[in-house]
Amino acid sequence: MLAQSLSASLLGVDGVPVRVEVDVAFGLPSLTIVGMAGSQVQEARERVRSALRNSGFELPARRITVNLSPADIPKDGTSYDVAIALGILAASGQLPDVTRMAETALLGELALDGAVRAVTGVMALVAAARASGIASVVVPAGDEVEASCVSGVRVLPAATLGDVVAHLAGVRELPAAVASPPPPWAPPANVPDLADLIGQATGRRCLEIAVAGRHNLAISGPPGVGKTLLGRCAEGLLPPLEDDEASEVSRIYSAAGLLDRRRPLVRQRPFRAPHHTVSTQGLVGGGPRVRPGEASLSHRGILFLDEALHFRADALDALRQPLEAGSVTIARVEGALAMPARFSLILAFNPCPCGWLGSATRQCQCDEGQARRYAGRLSGPLRDRLDLWVTAEEPRHADLDGAEPSSAVAARIRAAWARQLARQGRANGELAMGAPAARLGLPPLLGTLLQRRGVKFRLSPRRLERVAAVARTVADLAGEADIRSEHVDEALHYRPEAAA
Amino acid sequence: MIGVGTRQEAIPQESGRSKRRLAPDEWVGWRDVRMGHLDAEAERPYWIALSLLPGIGPVGFARLLARYGSAQAAWRAGGAALQVLPRQVPDAPLAFKRLARRGVLTVARKVEADVRRAGGVVVIALDADYPRALAEADPRPPVLYRAGEPDAFVAPAVAIVGTRRASGYGRSVTQELADELARAGVTVVSGLALGIDGEAHRAALQAGGRSVAVLPSPLDRIYPPRHRELAAQLVATGGALVSEIAPGNAVGRPDFARRNRIIAGLSQAVVVVEAPDRSGALLTAAAAIQLGRELYAVPGDINADGSRGSNRLIADHHASMVTSAAGLLTAVGFASGGRPLSVTTLSEIEGRVLYRLLEKPGSVEELLHRTDLPTSALASALTLLEARGLVTSYGGATFHPTLAARRIGQAR
Repeated sequence: MLAQSLSASLLGVDGVPVRVEVDVAFGLPSLTIVGMAGSQVQEARERVRSALRNSGFELPARRITVNLSPADIPKDGTSYDVAIALGILAASGQLPDVTRMAETALLGELALDGAVRAVTGVMALVAAARASGIASVVVPAGDEVEASCVSGVRVLPAATLGDVVAHLAGVRELPAAVASPPPPWAPPANVPDLADLIGQATGRRCLEIAVAGRHNLAISGPPGVGKTLLGRCAEGLLPPLEDDEASEVSRIYSAAGLLDRRRPLVRQRPFRAPHHTVSTQGLVGGGPRVRPGEASLSHRGILFLDEALHFRADALDALRQPLEAGSVTIARVEGALAMPARFSLILAFNPCPCGWLGSATRQCQCDEGQARRYAGRLSGPLRDRLDLWVTAEEPRHADLDGAEPSSAVAARIRAAWARQLARQGRANGELAMGAPAARLGLPPLLGTLLQRRGVKFRLSPRRLERVAAVARTVADLAGEADIRSEHVDEALHYRPEAAA
Repeated sequence: MIGVGTRQEAIPQESGRSKRRLAPDEWVGWRDVRMGHLDAEAERPYWIALSLLPGIGPVGFARLLARYGSAQAAWRAGGAALQVLPRQVPDAPLAFKRLARRGVLTVARKVEADVRRAGGVVVIALDADYPRALAEADPRPPVLYRAGEPDAFVAPAVAIVGTRRASGYGRSVTQELADELARAGVTVVSGLALGIDGEAHRAALQAGGRSVAVLPSPLDRIYPPRHRELAAQLVATGGALVSEIAPGNAVGRPDFARRNRIIAGLSQAVVVVEAPDRSGALLTAAAAIQLGRELYAVPGDINADGSRGSNRLIADHHASMVTSAAGLLTAVGFASGGRPLSVTTLSEIEGRVLYRLLEKPGSVEELLHRTDLPTSALASALTLLEARGLVTSYGGATFHPTLAARRIGQAR
């Protein structure tokens, strides 16, 4: 006999609805799972077998074939266990009425005793089920808070396989989870505050502009002057996620298995600071079972690379695509897979191996070629995508007195952010390339000024576009509707300096 | 037994057979060479061919001429001539054999063709356009490769040299000195290196003057490659490139020591701006002393590594101290060419920033304290001053007023 149940599969950070078809036929007793099922799915046979027996059901001694459709996308994970078990029950006549099963997606891993265990990426899976028109979803008990973040679908938490069967048979209804309103956003605790930073007036200013306009920032400077602290202060300056952004980011974290199950909706804008030994895969995502990398985990937030020149060259280079397109594309034999990755990048690095190149107080000890090779680790295309460049200076003793705290800066950033969203619906740093001067409302006179400065300072047209976008943010921070020449000149001050 | 050792040392080692051979420590220089009778055209191929042999430097060449009377005779003597050289290079006999097999005329013609292709000419010490200042130097290179007009060597020349890793201060002073010299009609000589050298050439060009670069490499391989464009500009503006190394040769390392001797030889005075200990610029200074050229040094920060060598030249009384560009000009015996004053209008904020910088160069953080401006206003003021060419950071953290800015300062 033939039966089918509904489930969903995780592909990158998105869910894909999966139809579990079960055929119980005469023949040598066996249980076969087909449909590009990975090893975790193959092991479902043993879990399902025990769970069925230990829940008081019977695995028919027949030739059982399970097909996961669509059969052309690779499937991994343990979220199909419940659907496979129910499919077998229906196909072997142990669940007579299948009407409910036809409109309910089943998610969950089975323990050998029949308990339903949590799975990764519930939010994305439920969202996929809803998108395909399914009205209710059975999720593992404990995952219902996360699942409830998806609206427009009935979430039914189940603790055991018996509960699921009872519900589908109409014997005992599973109570639907009630979505609780997400807790209000609170500024993140335990992040460094700008008040703790000594000196770095230009660095502070650049950080403010970078966060306010979602620009990419490069911080270079000698060791020990506070580059890392400055970069880390960005986290405390980020405004909360907008509602649609929050569910988007939460889905990514859900797929990565990084959600707090009790407070699943991410409200805090991501700030990720991977170590420089991270692999290319870890940075942009990928792997045999495609997982989001740091780039996607920083979506709508900030990716901070400290000691940026010590990252693998291919890893750094792999960031070019997300910086350009706002997403990561992983190419596979089975097709390309896109994951959102629209972040602003903050890089901190020493200008040369010893770190003192260009310093006013100490002589650099590196030889010319060494220093150039070191700086060359940052490829030209990546360089071009960094809007703001600041050289961190050694603090002076006079700088030790109190500086502006993060909260004051964050307030200005939120105001500037609101101004950008109201005007163009996105941040200045996210405006696509090409003729941004016109789109940014740069008056023709200032366009000419910018061109002239570009000739004087030998800046590429792409660099000038970046400067124009930064000038727009400077004006937004000043609360001004129009860009003025001093805004352009300030933006130009943060250009990369071609070492003489 | 006592005294046997000393007696043995006192006994001359040579026997009568090799009487005419020069002892290794016997100094023979160009002062011992008589060249009046030599025909430049007949000698030229032999000079070129001989200069290609490994181990033949200016001193060795002088010995050959002193011993054999002409390069042609030395060439004919063949392997025996090589014995005269002060430095014995194992490869030399083989190299000589190879050149001899090709024939001296073929070899010389090939070199001349290579030089022409690189845009230059071969100048031997017998030629009329061999640089006058160098002709008085001892030792002097027998063969030079030159791109640019011979006129470049007519005017008096002063060399400005220094470290490749120049500080903003070093660059700024270099510009000022080179500008002052160039305006007074003095040719600025340097080594085309990054840092001080490049700054000196550039400032001389900008002042509308002439500048000569002595290369550590052949004419067809400008070193450092980053200054290729600068080298072309030097030639285009009446200056010249000079090299002691034949073009078209196998790849060799840049020869800085030989370059530095030519720099000193071409100049009546050498100014060292910023040199750390063991800097190549100190070799130029040593060459200047050896050749009897005037030596000047610019005092630097006593705590900065980059100024240790140049400061020591002053401390040890090898070099006179440069206290101002005008002072240097007077010391080397020239009248100031005058400076055009520039007039420019600045906003109150820009004026304040520039005024503070004219007092003393400083970093952004320092300027914030000294000008009492908000970060954003200082940033835009600095960009504007940079765009007008009044301020520069030389790629570092410290901002300096430029020559143009100092002229405004003086006009006030």
